[in-house]
Amino acid sequence: MIFRLDPITRRKLQRFQSLRRGWWSFLILAALLVLAGFAELLVNSRALVVKYHGHIYFPTYTAFHPGSDFGEPYSYEADYRKLQARFRSESRGDWLLMPVVPYNPYENSFEAGVYPPTRPSVAGRHFLGTDTTGRDVLARLFYGFRIAMIFSLLYLVLVYIVGIAIGCMMGYFGGGFDITAQRVVEIWSNMPFLYIVIIVASILTPNLGLLLGIVVLFSWTGMTYYMRTATYKEKARDYVAAAEVLGAGSGRIIFSHILPNAVSTIVTFIPFTVNDALTSLTALDFLGFGLPPPTPSWGELLHQGTANLDAPWIVGSTFVALVIVLSLVTFIGESIREAFDAKKFTIYE
Amino acid sequence: MNKVRIFLCALSLLLAAAGCTKKTGEAARDIAPEAATYYKAHPDFFHFATPADLPAGLVWHDGHGVPEFAVPGAKRGGTLHNWIDDFPRTLRFYGPDASGTFRSFILDDWALGLLGRQPNTGQYVPSLAREWAYDKDGRTMYFRLDPDARYCDGVPVRADDYLFAFFIFSSSYIHDPFTNNYISKTFSGITKYDDLTIAISAQEPKPDIEDRLALSPVPEHFYKELGDDYPERFQWQLEPTAGPYTVRPEDIHKGSSIDLTRVPNWWADNKPFLRYRFNVDRIHLEVVRDTNKAFEAFKRGDIDMFDLREPEYWYNKLPGSDPLVQRGCIAKAVFYNQVPCITYGFYINTAQPMLDRRDVREGIAYAANFDLVDKQYFHGDYVRMQTSNDGYSQVPFPGIHPRPFSVDQALACFARAGFTRRGPDGILVNDQGQRLSFTVTSYHDTLRDVLTILRQEAAKAGLELNIEILDGTTGVKKIMEKHHQIAFMALQPTGARYPDYWQMFDSANANKPQTNNITNTADPVMDQLIKAYDHAQTMDEIRRLAYQMELRIRDNAAFIPAYKLPFYRIGYWRWIKFQKDFATRESDDGGVELAGVIGDGLYSIDEGARPTVLAARDSGPPLPAEIRVYDAWKSK
Repeated sequence: MIFRLDPITRRKLQRFQSLRRGWWSFLILAALLVLAGFAELLVNSRALVVKYHGHIYFPTYTAFHPGSDFGEPYSYEADYRKLQARFRSESRGDWLLMPVVPYNPYENSFEAGVYPPTRPSVAGRHFLGTDTTGRDVLARLFYGFRIAMIFSLLYLVLVYIVGIAIGCMMGYFGGGFDITAQRVVEIWSNMPFLYIVIIVASILTPNLGLLLGIVVLFSWTGMTYYMRTATYKEKARDYVAAAEVLGAGSGRIIFSHILPNAVSTIVTFIPFTVNDALTSLTALDFLGFGLPPPTPSWGELLHQGTANLDAPWIVGSTFVALVIVLSLVTFIGESIREAFDAKKFTIYE
Repeated sequence: MNKVRIFLCALSLLLAAAGCTKKTGEAARDIAPEAATYYKAHPDFFHFATPADLPAGLVWHDGHGVPEFAVPGAKRGGTLHNWIDDFPRTLRFYGPDASGTFRSFILDDWALGLLGRQPNTGQYVPSLAREWAYDKDGRTMYFRLDPDARYCDGVPVRADDYLFAFFIFSSSYIHDPFTNNYISKTFSGITKYDDLTIAISAQEPKPDIEDRLALSPVPEHFYKELGDDYPERFQWQLEPTAGPYTVRPEDIHKGSSIDLTRVPNWWADNKPFLRYRFNVDRIHLEVVRDTNKAFEAFKRGDIDMFDLREPEYWYNKLPGSDPLVQRGCIAKAVFYNQVPCITYGFYINTAQPMLDRRDVREGIAYAANFDLVDKQYFHGDYVRMQTSNDGYSQVPFPGIHPRPFSVDQALACFARAGFTRRGPDGILVNDQGQRLSFTVTSYHDTLRDVLTILRQEAAKAGLELNIEILDGTTGVKKIMEKHHQIAFMALQPTGARYPDYWQMFDSANANKPQTNNITNTADPVMDQLIKAYDHAQTMDEIRRLAYQMELRIRDNAAFIPAYKLPFYRIGYWRWIKFQKDFATRESDDGGVELAGVIGDGLYSIDEGARPTVLAARDSGPPLPAEIRVYDAWKSK
């Protein structure tokens, strides 16, 4: 119901498309998200295709292939980069195709006599260099981006579900419920969120779900204020009264009548909520209270980078990546706000 | 209104009176009679005799023939600028908060004991005692105090100060149960023969009896007002020691800096083994709360020496190519020493399911690629630790080595434990479908990188290591309550001349919270060996039993040795001069603030060189660069 494209929404979207900066930002971010979805095909230590003794293998999404599958003398995961070199030197018609960045975000690529962090090098295929334990910075950035975006989108959904439901209820029922809930929200939002996360993270090792849970637990309150106001406003309109007269229940009125009319509030906040989630996760990782090692994360890269300023490629590339993504999201947010501007589209009776 | 006024008057009179009583009470306070009563009440511990009562036939030693290790000719004077990362919480030696890091500056390094040790040869040399002798019971020593020995306030050191030491260490006034307990467990008595002659006895004979008995005195005159309020009353009063430095009250700037000043006309200025050392007049300790900031201050010349132990500092932050090094302003020195090592390693909890199988533990030992970490992450500076107690020069373990990294050996061990096939992610699975996956717990954030490398390598052997880095308190709690699977941590050596096995490996400490038996080792054979070891009376017996125990520890594979640093290395501005050999075999840098280097007192400051060095920094003529490795004591 919310997403049915009525003429007004269509006009809003057309307006969004016409705002070039926001629209292009949206396209770039969407493209990045799609690429991140297929990260294993672009940045990975597993080969895309291997032809060995007449058989064709596609190792990317399958179970691991021990080195012995390809005539190597070990039983652990085949080292495809070495395998590629071997195939070339043997020239028996075996070949394999590696992704653009032939490293996964966890492996330490050490070379004798060279100590990490190493500088960016096209020959070594470490396009952004390596970090303090010899892991590829680009691989960690890319997978870190994917994890951060997954985190942000889940955060968005959860914060919206809780925030919208409670905010709407406060606005719709009003009275005692509103006053009580409002006080609870005020007290809850005054809890020192960062300290609580730090305490929890130092006692338990957080995983994505737990971290998400904690962050959402202390972030849903912001949304309630806006939804409460929006609902109060809509509730006083005639169409709500008409629905009540027709015998519609509270749930139906809230979700089928009021919510679609408050959609501009909801949509406008999406990019900024995503930004919040990205920065919170990065900050927590930076402080060492985020996702456990060795999860690739931007905060952890920033932390390493600031502690090793003599290796500027770590902090430099992370900083640039962070600025780009946050700018894209902010540009989208600005454009959405303008496109959904209530002054342009709300028509009072 | 009047009533109120009368009441107030009465109240103020009452308060004034109370104040007076308190003051008179303080003036009257004197601990001496109480101490004397205490000696009388414990006649089995405190003995009073005459010189005629000394046993006949005692052989008195005085360190004759032992070579001195400090070289004459060092310049006197100057101020050393150093840093501390936090202001000390107290200047007391005992009681709450007294065991902070600052203690090494004021107590451990400079408060002289009865005997000293020649750190290159390990022989005992005179310090506060001019001569000493051994009783044939093996647990008693006789000491003749140096008549010249003085505290920094000029009061001579006398036998009564040793009686008083036992009184204060046993008293509840110092709020220090650990010291109380140590004294009652270690010592069995003290005898005063005259003002300069005493005998001290331990509970049982030990090969390192000298280290146990050669205590520092406690000046009775300083503790006149000792009472239950000791922690507050003495919070910022520094007990006088007979050592070369003291802290003057006007040099205590709480929260920002503290200075140590050399005692004028120090009594031991010309005594062998103490002369030619402690050359600087003042040591300024500035509080710098961030190591990176302190390092920048060092590079600016505000701090004279800096710890470059970590590869990050040695290779990246102050490489040999740095202009300050190239222009000869800062010298870099590596010194190989021989001291008991901090025991970094995997402590596998043998009480956990699966880990109770020796085959699994042995497999983990083969799958832990510490060699790669040492070689590639630590630039080859760190070397593999060989046993659970490396670095005791008198208790070596020739021929005992840790298991090398070997995927095949690890797979063979895991196969014996039933883990024969790899799952889709390459991790081994047994017939019941259990994955070979364990959590490594650590509370050192610095080990994060090391663990990520070990995790990647272990996966080759089909072993999954999950990394759990907790904050200090939580991590210690988890490990001390033995809830861990594998702990990656280190224990500090006790400071004795031979290792302690009881704490770490005796079944009395297994499966109990708050003990150092982190592997939960409970092995009857080991218990017997430890019992024999703890009652061993000769060094040969100690060596023999320790060797057997190390073999057993290796065999049990619950402790997997990680790595050790066989040297320390520092950078220093060129106006600091070290002697030719730089330092001694048993020297240690004492941690990031170099308390150990400073405490040895084997350096001096050439204030005359300062302008030349600073000119070399600021585009004057450069000095020859100096990067030296002192490997006289490097283990072959």
